[in-house]
Amino acid sequence: MPKKILTTIFFLLLTFQLYSQEKYTISGLISDSKNKETLIGVSLYIEETKTGLTTNEYGFYSITLPKGTYTISVSYVGYQTLQEKIELNKDIKKNFFITETSQQLDEVVILQNSKRVDVRKPEMSVNKLTIQEIKEMPVIFGEVDVIKSILTLPGVTNAGEGQSGFNVRGGGADQNLVLLDEATIYNSSHLFGLFSVFNPDAIKDLKLYKGGIPSRYGGRLSSILDIYQKEGNKNEFHMNGGIGLISSRILAEGPIVKGKGSFVFAGRGSYAHLFLKLFDNPNSAYFYDLNTKLSYSVNEKNNIYLSGYFGRDVFQLNNSFVNTYGNAVLNFRWNHLFSDKLFSNLSMIYSDYYYGLRLDIIGFNWDSGIKNYNVKYDFKHYLTDKFKLTYGIQSNYYDFNPGRIEPTSEESGINRDQLDKKYALENAIYLDAEHQITKNFALSYGLRFSNFLRLGQQKINTYANNQPVIFNSDFQIYESAEPTGVIYYGNNATIAKFDNLEPRFSASYTLDDDQSIKASYNRMTQYLHLISNTQSPTPLDVWAPSDQYLKPQLLDQVALGYFRNFSNDVYSLEAETFYKKIKNRVDYIDGANLIANEAIERVVLNGRARAYGIEILFRKNIGRYKGWISYTLSRTQQQVAGRTPEETGINNGRWYRTGFDKLHNLAIVGNYKYNDKWRFSANFTLQTGQPVTFPTGQYEYEGITVPIFSTRNENNLPLYHHLDISATMTPRKNKGRKWQSEWVFGIYNLYNRMNSASITFRQNQDTGSNEAIRLSIFGIVPSATYNIKF
Amino acid sequence: MKKIYFSLLIVLFAAISCEKVIDVDLSSSEPRLVIEATIQWHNGTPGNEQLVKLSTTSDYFSGEIPPVSGATVFITNSANEVFDFVEDIANPGKYKCLTFNPVVNETYTLTVIHEGETYTSTEKLLDTPLITRIEQDDEGGILGNETEVKFFFNDLVNQTNFYMVRIDDPNKVIPEFGVIEDRFFQNNEMFGLYFNEDLKPGDTLKCTLNGVTQNFYNYMDILLEQTGTNSAGPFSTPTSTVRGNIVNQTNFDHFALGYFRLSKTEVSEYVIQ
Repeated sequence: MPKKILTTIFFLLLTFQLYSQEKYTISGLISDSKNKETLIGVSLYIEETKTGLTTNEYGFYSITLPKGTYTISVSYVGYQTLQEKIELNKDIKKNFFITETSQQLDEVVILQNSKRVDVRKPEMSVNKLTIQEIKEMPVIFGEVDVIKSILTLPGVTNAGEGQSGFNVRGGGADQNLVLLDEATIYNSSHLFGLFSVFNPDAIKDLKLYKGGIPSRYGGRLSSILDIYQKEGNKNEFHMNGGIGLISSRILAEGPIVKGKGSFVFAGRGSYAHLFLKLFDNPNSAYFYDLNTKLSYSVNEKNNIYLSGYFGRDVFQLNNSFVNTYGNAVLNFRWNHLFSDKLFSNLSMIYSDYYYGLRLDIIGFNWDSGIKNYNVKYDFKHYLTDKFKLTYGIQSNYYDFNPGRIEPTSEESGINRDQLDKKYALENAIYLDAEHQITKNFALSYGLRFSNFLRLGQQKINTYANNQPVIFNSDFQIYESAEPTGVIYYGNNATIAKFDNLEPRFSASYTLDDDQSIKASYNRMTQYLHLISNTQSPTPLDVWAPSDQYLKPQLLDQVALGYFRNFSNDVYSLEAETFYKKIKNRVDYIDGANLIANEAIERVVLNGRARAYGIEILFRKNIGRYKGWISYTLSRTQQQVAGRTPEETGINNGRWYRTGFDKLHNLAIVGNYKYNDKWRFSANFTLQTGQPVTFPTGQYEYEGITVPIFSTRNENNLPLYHHLDISATMTPRKNKGRKWQSEWVFGIYNLYNRMNSASITFRQNQDTGSNEAIRLSIFGIVPSATYNIKF
Repeated sequence: MKKIYFSLLIVLFAAISCEKVIDVDLSSSEPRLVIEATIQWHNGTPGNEQLVKLSTTSDYFSGEIPPVSGATVFITNSANEVFDFVEDIANPGKYKCLTFNPVVNETYTLTVIHEGETYTSTEKLLDTPLITRIEQDDEGGILGNETEVKFFFNDLVNQTNFYMVRIDDPNKVIPEFGVIEDRFFQNNEMFGLYFNEDLKPGDTLKCTLNGVTQNFYNYMDILLEQTGTNSAGPFSTPTSTVRGNIVNQTNFDHFALGYFRLSKTEVSEYVIQ
């Protein structure tokens, strides 16, 4: 089958070469007219041929057309639409500069800058948000938040308030590939999920792929969150910052060599005594992060970029407990134009996740982490106006440190220990074609071949019958098997090897200029597993590579959608339905101890998962009132069946809902521009409560009462909903002033809804009787932030 | 360690979160037999007096634990010596034996016959180290504002050990349990740790230490997870009913809850200074 696809692609390539007559290419960059920042995803539309295309992640576009005169319109959300007549009688280099609508004079009313749905492109299950849109949403603590903003999109939820990570279409939080300037971020949360690690000031654009994922992405099953950092102002030096109740931030940007290079430095930090000021103890919980990016245009054909991120969370209680964790990434990229039709990017990326914990109370120090070296060479080949190819190779080397344990002092009874380090290499080669078959029918098809090598040096246990988990039929429980022996693999020896072909396909059929039907299929492979048996990921969770016991996770997803723009693009509708199934989704045996576990295979059972649903996104794109309604109806389940008829599996082998199953998920986001001074926004969220297991009885054992549970995740927490509002005040005197300022006032959970983060069943320590306790994390939270720019 | 970590997270959230006792409608399940067969041979005693408790499960909020009367209960050792447990007329559901003969490393089998079904379980009597010293720290606990007491003991050498520590605090009506393993402490001094800000001078803390099997360690670990304050929190692990080590030989699926375990028992009382 892969061979067939390849042959088809080459055949198609050939046909286009044959047909080619007198054709010329127009290519270049599209940037902001003021700061010369390149723009991602800008639409170019050729009136005469009715073809469209968008700029890539580096602001580059290229299109090849027969000789002639063309009208090109360049449009982008929040920017004025630009129209230009181009006489194409030779290859042309043309850079466009577009202007933000907010920069223009008040009298001019521009209607063409709307966020209409691209009905033609064979791309679906993708959501894009510019930083401007994110900044217009109300958020908790007055801090603009990238992850919180994507939770208002259909198909995206998280396990609950104050919990880290996010779930896409019923996938686990570990199944999202989060990329910051192409570098993998392993933990996207600060302060255990209260904030995300992305400084909104330093971010330019984000794109979330929930399905129809192009073959250049791989390694995670459920989604790709692709975030790009700003390059910085190429013309002038600027600074901006904000002072909030929880954190403050500052950013500096400017040219290195005017018009050719630029830099951005951004820093953000929270105040140390955040939550713990109530206690008069030396406690603190704070985070900080630094973003930096340098870009330099060597010449017309070559651009280089250096970007970095460093973030840490520190959580300290009375010096007896110190917890530090965070990501660090460094990335060098080189854009090279082989021709005006062939764009290439070489990336060399280092990314690192560190987790450290010191527990003086038991004399324990713990360090763990993951280091990742990644080289990618990606090509985008703009062959004709109807046919584009994307291809490339990628290689990833992983170095896992599952944990090093040390005593904190001489007196501590803790023994020193280094858990076996783990090494792996993940390679991929891919090819994707975007192909306009007829005026109404477009296809995108591709194939990714991925390969994973688990490497030595390491000792690997062997087990009787190759079963690290055995079933104790007397007590109907799973138990860890005792290893029967150990195989030693030397340096770089292959411990396990996997090869997978991942086909990707999507098609769009336009019914007319305003509506289309799209369909997609994608297969994904994930070789890394987040070892966590809690409802929500914690920083303590450790990543483990696939091996002979822990098989790679495989996903197949199909989706079908209807897309429509109404009333001159004032409204748009995106409706999709999806079904996906996952193989080799692990679950854990009862009482599994995952911390510092040298042989995870002894507590893991392989299962499968499935998710299906309907997503609707209805937007109003133009006018003083803007916003969207997103609704998702979905189900997500997991099953671990017994390996033999005697075994019970988990939950008696029946399907059970995962901890992040949300049957209904509704978000309404609205923005109202009252005048130049005041802007208001509101955000309403309503979700089915998180699935939980409530007790069905009790018994007494050793003087305490113990709850009895039946079917897993059978109950739900109460309905979860809250309304958040915010108001932004931009003083009128900003105009004609060198520096600009604004105030953002917000109220999270306006009507003080006590949402349940959990319901706990316990025995009261004073009375000894049983009680149910509801834990609510946030009631009403007012906030204010002052932003300044000069 | 994980538990300490998560309880610290709860501390973090505690400052911004709020807890409330609420009413929840729960469904009920069929009553099931519960066997609590804990044989503790207190150091310095002959260990001849032992107790087995039988009860059934009940609705979570029912507030009562129905005792089970009229059962036949006995334990045999490897020499087939039989120790009968006779129900105490005054205390229904409590079966007593006055002639038990405890021996470390001896294997014992428990038999319970109830309503025509026979339940059995076989375990070894485990050794338990002595509590060697006790330390008090008035600036202890995680936040340094609680009275903390550490009960020290030496890990039994050259074997993988599991221990259960029980603390009876006069300020609480229910005992506090903890299970610990010697994984990071092999052959070193270990300790049971307890802190409570309500402890005041003159309070007597009772610490009970028992050697337990790995299976019991896992069992109790899950039980404590389910009864603990984090049993449904964001970082909780999925829950299910755990079976103990007692098997119904007559009707396998009609299993009993509870556990049969035997060990030497070290008790140490400490008066807060």
